[in-house]
Amino acid sequence: MGRVVWIMAVAGLSVFPLYSQGIQDSVYAIEEVAITVEQIFVKEQAGMKQTNVDSMVLHNKVSLSLSDLLSENTSVFIKNHGRGALATASFRGTSASHTQVSWNGININSPMAGMVDFSLIPVYIIDELNLKHGSASLADRSGGIGGSININNRAEWNEKSSVGYLQGIGSYSTFDEFLQVGVGNSKIRSKTRLYHNYSKNDYTFINHGIAIIDPVSGDITNPIDTNDHAAYLRYGLLQEIYYRPGSNHVVSLKYWGQFADRTIPKPTSYEGPDNSNLNNQVDRDHRLVADWKYYGDFGKVMVRSGYAGKRLDYNQMNRVPGLGLIPAIWSESRQQSLYNTLSYSGGTKGDLSWEGTIDLNYHQVGSADSVSSAGYTGHRNELSTMFAVRKSFNDRVNLNLMLRQEWVDGKRVPFIPYFGMDVRLIQGVDLVVKGNIARNYHLPTLNDLYWQPGGNPGLLPEEGFTMEGGVAYQQELSGHLLKTELSLYRSHIENWIIWIPSYRGFWEPRNIRRVLSKGVECNIELQGYFSEFNYRLSATYGYTSAVNEGDPLVWSDESYGKQLVYIPLHSGNMMAHLGWGNLFFTYQYSAYSERCTTSSNDVTRRDRLYPYFMNDISAGSSFRLKRLDLSLEVKVNNLFNEPYHTILYRPMPGRNWQLVFKIQI
Amino acid sequence: MKDDQLWDFERPVYDIPFNGIFVTNEGNFMYGNASLTYYDPETREVYDDVFFNTNAIPLGDVAHSMTIRDSLGYVVVNNSGRIYIFNTRTFEMKGKITGLTSPRYIHFISETKAYVTDLYARSIAVVNPATMEVTGAIPVSNSNSNFYQHSTEQMLQYDRFVYTNCWSYDNQVLVIDAETDRVVDSIEVLKQPNSMVLDRHQTLWVLCDGGVEGSPYGTEPPGLLKIGAGSTEAEIVHRFSSGEMPTELKINGGGDTLYFINGDVYRYAVNGATDPEVLIESPYEGTMVTGFYGLDVDPVSSEVYVADAIDFVQRGMVYRFTSEGVPVDTFRTGIAPGGFCFKPAVP
Repeated sequence: MGRVVWIMAVAGLSVFPLYSQGIQDSVYAIEEVAITVEQIFVKEQAGMKQTNVDSMVLHNKVSLSLSDLLSENTSVFIKNHGRGALATASFRGTSASHTQVSWNGININSPMAGMVDFSLIPVYIIDELNLKHGSASLADRSGGIGGSININNRAEWNEKSSVGYLQGIGSYSTFDEFLQVGVGNSKIRSKTRLYHNYSKNDYTFINHGIAIIDPVSGDITNPIDTNDHAAYLRYGLLQEIYYRPGSNHVVSLKYWGQFADRTIPKPTSYEGPDNSNLNNQVDRDHRLVADWKYYGDFGKVMVRSGYAGKRLDYNQMNRVPGLGLIPAIWSESRQQSLYNTLSYSGGTKGDLSWEGTIDLNYHQVGSADSVSSAGYTGHRNELSTMFAVRKSFNDRVNLNLMLRQEWVDGKRVPFIPYFGMDVRLIQGVDLVVKGNIARNYHLPTLNDLYWQPGGNPGLLPEEGFTMEGGVAYQQELSGHLLKTELSLYRSHIENWIIWIPSYRGFWEPRNIRRVLSKGVECNIELQGYFSEFNYRLSATYGYTSAVNEGDPLVWSDESYGKQLVYIPLHSGNMMAHLGWGNLFFTYQYSAYSERCTTSSNDVTRRDRLYPYFMNDISAGSSFRLKRLDLSLEVKVNNLFNEPYHTILYRPMPGRNWQLVFKIQI
Repeated sequence: MKDDQLWDFERPVYDIPFNGIFVTNEGNFMYGNASLTYYDPETREVYDDVFFNTNAIPLGDVAHSMTIRDSLGYVVVNNSGRIYIFNTRTFEMKGKITGLTSPRYIHFISETKAYVTDLYARSIAVVNPATMEVTGAIPVSNSNSNFYQHSTEQMLQYDRFVYTNCWSYDNQVLVIDAETDRVVDSIEVLKQPNSMVLDRHQTLWVLCDGGVEGSPYGTEPPGLLKIGAGSTEAEIVHRFSSGEMPTELKINGGGDTLYFINGDVYRYAVNGATDPEVLIESPYEGTMVTGFYGLDVDPVSSEVYVADAIDFVQRGMVYRFTSEGVPVDTFRTGIAPGGFCFKPAVP
């Protein structure tokens, strides 16, 4: 349990009440606090590198997508296909499916594609955001060779009933509406969140993909084009109900439904007919989770069941003379997953604790293209058992052994062990040296196995072997808190699956890579206050070397020993948040080194994803008008109007602004 | 770094009147990184990325094929919906034909008329190369089909008739009357005809890959077929085993020897004296799916050029062999080299 240092009114409204984090459950959590000192020496977390994203950050980015927050405030690299478009994560240089994502304990990675599109997750639905780096993710599930990202909602037992509304208006006809209603008492609570986000997304850019030839001089120029066919719409509902019949148990039911409709821009170089090559994607998600937690003298018991259903429709339309708009691709996929967890943990208050978990999951998917009639259906049963034992020695050494055994469709997956250790160097000082060694597996996704055409049922699981070590330090001094952590990791991943185009004219996945991912993660955070002035400064830096060490395909293959595509060697970000009375100001900075787009790391002038540095600022004021809490904030993104690209030939927006208005009763 | 700096550079000036070879590098779908490599077989000099370096304009997304007409090169850029036209001596861009849905190949009928086949338009575009405009369309839609038929691919002309193969989920070769711009006939071949050549007897040879295993369209063993000059009947000459995937049917300048890729590079005499024989072995082992991706034969020297896309996300290689398969040279290309275009000396 976090230790409350001081309590303050949060700048702006408490759309996201700040919270304390710790290993104990939220049933004992306490109300709003602005600075909490997390325990960094906990035997249940020994050897694990975790990031709990500060509630101030969640609050500041409430109108954005999780992809924005992760890339701006954590060491997770986000490969972004454009504003509002597909955004996938690379954690410690690994591929998108190596990051396991959960919402209130249930996994939300697509069982078909294995990954998560973080542009589809609004920060607004997040109360707690926890990142487990590398093998730390084994505490929850296997497969997170890069790590895991865990989204949680939690009850605000002591909050009054309230209604909050947030309106954002921004460049490129961007409108964001968020409504929240919380009611209840200390026994039963309900919280409802509704949101609606739309953007025409029609920013302009100099189009280097198209040439205009002067008929007289022959000179070539580039047009200024609009980012057409890039609009996005997203709306959804998050409903939470919590019931606390007694002081030692709590029941919750949560539903999150979302509809997202996006047009996918044509290549910027496309000069075909206007009404051809029209691409559209619709995602419909329903997620439901119910859990019961019981806290007895013997320990804690948790039972959880969840459902995740997704329908993803993708189509491409072309104008056919005489026939009108005809679909060339009309692909519909359905994914349904059931999750069940039973866990028991005990001894957390003593020197020796233990934990046992059984997960039983079932996935069923189907995909069909009504134009080509191609498609597949598939299903998968997963049984996972985990047993952990943790021991603390005189508040100086913590040991953590987690053993995991899984069966997939009745077949045993190799044993997955984790061993972690913390050493407190100086008694009474939060200076901890930590490290772990672990194995991990990531199963091929159902698309990898069965996609038509190309699926490869003979694929082997990806196998990771990771070692990491680091040092964490924190010091609190009369209203100021310094937190910092440095980690080094080294991860061998065998049987890495990549999809490669084949001479057959389609893509096929193969276990052809061996990847050595090693790197450094460093983060530092300083926060505190002087009378009416408060501040929070944070920075992260990541050095990520993710190198292909697979056998060359042929003598001329130059990919051996080279950095994987789209992974920057250096990435970092900084955030400064200052508050003074009713006023607040935030400065956000992100930087990425060059990303290569070829496996041989050739860089050409024609195809460069050169380094870029993003600067965003925001400033606002919160004030009270009778019974209303109000807040107004102006944000300027890409302050210096810097041109940059996250994928080739897809320019990102220049300087743009957003106005955010909040009201709460 | 700013885009402006990146795109403002000193461009080389070329003037190469000699014969040479262009390699179209497809690049990666949606990445816009197609490129054009030029190779001088005499000096063995390689000119990287000549279109971009000369014009400071990228070719676009998926350069599918190239055809030369007089001194001009026409590069069909599939997912950019356009054809770039450039001077094959100086590589200077001369114009473009736009408004094409998903173009694949261009075939010239006259100075003022050419056809452009298309994957998705269900029609063949009629263009005027002189004005660089689309002037009409030849519908090829098979509205009864479940499989988006017809897509059209390569074109060959015999007399006034243009033959085009319909590869994607299809088994037809369409016959178009180049005077009336109409489909006048269709010839059923095996599933998925992917490439065609005309031999010295004006016999049309068609290579069919038989479809993809597990495809709803079905599969059958691939085959090599021939259609006699002016005939509308196809005859199966050679049947491959199920699971093989022969592609890239080409012919030498003499029009008497066929070449194709089936893992390795094979050769086959049009007189059918022997079965197809391996001419060049692929360096890829086992069932590796990558490998030889493009193939062509120099119409004058009959030297064989094989393009290797390696993993498709790095610069590929071209291997040059004599007509008997003896290695002559190798050179690097751009990403995913798929097509060749032989340039005669430009006067």
